[in-house]
Amino acid sequence: MTDVNDVPKVERPPGVPMSQWPSAYEYVLPTGAPGTVTLTIDGREVKAQTGDLLIKVAQDHGTYIPRFCYHERMKPVGMCRMCLVEVEGMRGMQISCATVVADGMVVHTQSDAARQAQDGVLELLLINHPLDCPVCDRGGECPLQDTTLAFGPGESRFVEEKRHWEKPIPISELVLLDRERCIQCGRCTRFADEIAGDALIAFGSRGAHTEVITFPGDPFTSYFSGNTVQICPVGALTATPYRFRARPWDLSAVETSCTTCSVHCRGALESSSNRLVRLLGVDSEPVNHGWLCDKGRFGYEVVHSEDRVRHPMVRKNGELVECSWPEALDVAAEGLKRALELNGPKSVALLGGARGTNEDAYVWARFAKGVVGTDNVDAQLGDGIPAEVALGLPEATIADLDRAAAIVVVGLDLKEEVPVLYLRVKRAAEELGVPLIELAPRDQGLTRYASTSIRSLPGEQGETARRLADALGGARGTDAGADAAAALLEGRAGDIVVVLGRGDLAESAASTVRAATELARLPQARFIVALRRGNVRGAMDLGLAPGFLPGRVTLDAGREWFGHAWGSVPATVGLDAEGILRAAEQGRIHALMLLGTDPHDDCPDHALAEGALNAAGFTIAIDAFVTDSTKRADVFLPVTMWGEKAGSVTNLEGRVQRVGQKVSPDGTAMPDWRIAAELALRLGVDFDLEQPEEVQDEIARVAPAYTGIDSTLLRRARDGAVAPVADHRDELVLGPVSIPLTDARWEPIRPGLDAVELEDAKTANDEADALRADRLTSVAQSAGAPPAPALHRFTGGVTDTAPPARDAYALRLVTGRTLYDGGITVAASDSLSELVADPVLLISPQDRDRIGVEDGAEVRVTSARGSLTLAVRADAAIGTGTAYLPFNLPGSGVSDLVDLSTAVTDLRVESLS
Amino acid sequence: MGKFSGFGITLKQVFKKPVTTRYPKEKRPKPERFHGRHVLNRYEDGMEKCIGCELCAGVCPARCIYVRGADNPPDAPVSPGERYGFVYEINYLRCIHCDLCVEACPTEAITETKLFEFSFAHRADAIYTKNELLVDDEGHAKRQPWELWLGGEDDETSAWMRATSPSGAAAYEGRIVWSSELGVGYRQPEQGQRRKKAD
Repeated sequence: MTDVNDVPKVERPPGVPMSQWPSAYEYVLPTGAPGTVTLTIDGREVKAQTGDLLIKVAQDHGTYIPRFCYHERMKPVGMCRMCLVEVEGMRGMQISCATVVADGMVVHTQSDAARQAQDGVLELLLINHPLDCPVCDRGGECPLQDTTLAFGPGESRFVEEKRHWEKPIPISELVLLDRERCIQCGRCTRFADEIAGDALIAFGSRGAHTEVITFPGDPFTSYFSGNTVQICPVGALTATPYRFRARPWDLSAVETSCTTCSVHCRGALESSSNRLVRLLGVDSEPVNHGWLCDKGRFGYEVVHSEDRVRHPMVRKNGELVECSWPEALDVAAEGLKRALELNGPKSVALLGGARGTNEDAYVWARFAKGVVGTDNVDAQLGDGIPAEVALGLPEATIADLDRAAAIVVVGLDLKEEVPVLYLRVKRAAEELGVPLIELAPRDQGLTRYASTSIRSLPGEQGETARRLADALGGARGTDAGADAAAALLEGRAGDIVVVLGRGDLAESAASTVRAATELARLPQARFIVALRRGNVRGAMDLGLAPGFLPGRVTLDAGREWFGHAWGSVPATVGLDAEGILRAAEQGRIHALMLLGTDPHDDCPDHALAEGALNAAGFTIAIDAFVTDSTKRADVFLPVTMWGEKAGSVTNLEGRVQRVGQKVSPDGTAMPDWRIAAELALRLGVDFDLEQPEEVQDEIARVAPAYTGIDSTLLRRARDGAVAPVADHRDELVLGPVSIPLTDARWEPIRPGLDAVELEDAKTANDEADALRADRLTSVAQSAGAPPAPALHRFTGGVTDTAPPARDAYALRLVTGRTLYDGGITVAASDSLSELVADPVLLISPQDRDRIGVEDGAEVRVTSARGSLTLAVRADAAIGTGTAYLPFNLPGSGVSDLVDLSTAVTDLRVESLS
Repeated sequence: MGKFSGFGITLKQVFKKPVTTRYPKEKRPKPERFHGRHVLNRYEDGMEKCIGCELCAGVCPARCIYVRGADNPPDAPVSPGERYGFVYEINYLRCIHCDLCVEACPTEAITETKLFEFSFAHRADAIYTKNELLVDDEGHAKRQPWELWLGGEDDETSAWMRATSPSGAAAYEGRIVWSSELGVGYRQPEQGQRRKKAD
């Protein structure tokens, strides 16, 4: 047998600085060739892979070894000593979380010696642990409670006074720390350091006085701080939004996807007495690895906001007044009919749809395009990427990041827009060693993990991408930065995964399209189009984009197919959001439907949105809140929100997953898709849809990219299904036997809670094979149906115009999204609305000195469009010649400066003092 | 004997003192561990004992208790510690007086009195709120308009506690004690069910 201590230590290669070399515990991890070892655990012979940790192998074979510090997604540290086991031939007890299995190892986890060691460790851990259980948020689902009951000594010999600290102290706005309860497992500090990359908490002092500390004046303001609460094995870290809201035994859970951004992390949504009280991360291997960002974790508060609209309203004598549903729907349908009769379908437009489910998007698309007959439909607001690009690029999944030859991030700040995708890219770059090439106008979240960062001024992104694509394609020598990036790929095979987004909303979308065109020339390039809005991908996929019909087919390609399925489709390609707003401004939109969207706050061009909303004719708001946009509506139809409706959503990689209903809404709000069906009925078309499952089945039948993704598959597929399923059939995993949530809240929660319970693994595999085969042939063809249309492919060809020359006094505006912005999710959540920062204009230190202002001074910022007064601060992250202002922060007013029709926005910054 | 023996029993009963009590003017003494309606107790300084932990609600087999906790206001705490019972409701249409809530309570906040005579004309009356359950400043249950009490019936509000209950001290292991009563004082511990006749 191999002694674990004989595993050769890995020497630090010369030239590698100590800071970049893994910490000490990695020395025990062997680097031997993969193979199978056989060992004996409690008398049973089990097989494992070389390098597996004993605690994991035991768990996979049904032997649970108690533990506190060990977490499957983090590196082992062996801090709590709870997982002591006896290994024959090894001196003393071994911590199984840091012991690597070896051939012939004989392990006893239940022997007298092992039990005595576990007893002793627990008695020691409990010496200073207060008896707070009745008032502790963890009480009832506490690993320390459970482990004490299962493995503990039952009584303590410690009769002295326990250690005392001040009771909970806030370490951030969202997290409270009770140091008395802490058992120093280091899960939170390791998470903050290893996973989130925000090492803002650490251990201080020694011995019995060890405490988790934050640095003075530097609270734990990580975007991922809520995860530490979920993985804390005691109640030392508690979340302020959940504090004292419920006890574990009166919670019930449903598995769902978070739709705060477009990553769609899996989560278990829990409620008590018809109130949502928390969202816990579920460990989904292809998506979120169990992590959530704080906006997603605590954003559920928006559902129970006081400001929700609970009943439909119509405008009477200039005021919105509550009325019955039939009355509101009749008024809405009449308004649409009048616009159609007087001005035809081109005078009707639909904006939004990215907040709903796929079912909502599909039924609204069918209503707009099949019944009303307008193609003036857009789920984005001039702040995204055109659908012909977003839907037509060769796609990569999130999991492809881990095995890519290189990752290229173009434009956006992943940490602010799609935080959990940021964690995945960070992990791929930092832990798995995938070269990360960053193309951005400024230093941002990922910059410190990037192998090389290429800076470009707004408007020059396309040109920079061309040079990078040339270099990656083999033509070196034009650009040193691009050459350095290309050099990273030497010797690496596989795809280049491009994460494409809009990092600068003041720059026209053409620049991003040009960058996509250039990079798409590379044969090995595959894309993740990272648009931020919740279900924007699902909305575009299912037809809420101009020129597209459901299932990623263009209007022209799908004309015959959808003409057969729906009866009619629009004759010509319609306007996108910018076009709709311009047409409305000119009085050519006589009926405007706002489907959960707020152009007033969310469109980068405020003057355009304002003019359009004022000049638009009959306006129907389908929303949950009265916003600056929807307050002008003639009819207000309240909708149910996430958590109040079941359905499916599509994330940025094209993965279709279910969202669950946990609570029923206050009032009479209806799901969006039902409202569309009711309106269609009043315009003379009966969709005959009553349940979301029926909509899913119809989507699977008629939307080509969604062929086969019907309600049955969605219910069974544990990790959802990536559309089109024919290209991703091997990734389908049918649900495992569901496990009760109560045993799993601090461990990575397994996905598949709602999945159908299957008899055994064999049945599951058989069914999976059958389902997979079935999906490929089940294009339900009714007699006489035309051939299914081909999916849209982006062929490039869109060029951007060269940006105008910047004069020497101007700064070029960069405006990107921040996580806690002025959107309704943040504004209507009590906990999150506290976290919104004040808008500050960031410029480079050189520019600050040139303009001659102090940090914090007020400056006047003027663009061709408008002018505003703001505080200014120098930041080394900002490139010389650019100025950064966050988008859609309350009071930032950046959309007053931007004109959507110009390629870039140049600013004059004048000192006011 | 024959057919007249039955009359003999009747005759014997005629001269015995009747067992009838003139209820409701007079009442028979109730057993020591009688389970009546609940009270929420307070400490001598007036602080509420309830910490809103919901253990009573969790253990209740009839699901008749609804509790919600909240943060104690630091300047005017309702109970000792971080948390207090913000909402406390018992639905007496459902309660089966099993006393499991009393056993579950870690602070002896909820106990059962011997008061059981109440009838309701409205469903809302049957749901006792925290204010109705809370004892008054003297430690006595608050009389509701629909409750029928005689004097002294509300004296005994304490629960009997098993020594294995959370507040049970080791000295009482295997014996049964009474929880303390505000305004009424301690009662002598009961000697358990196997006490000798001679006691």
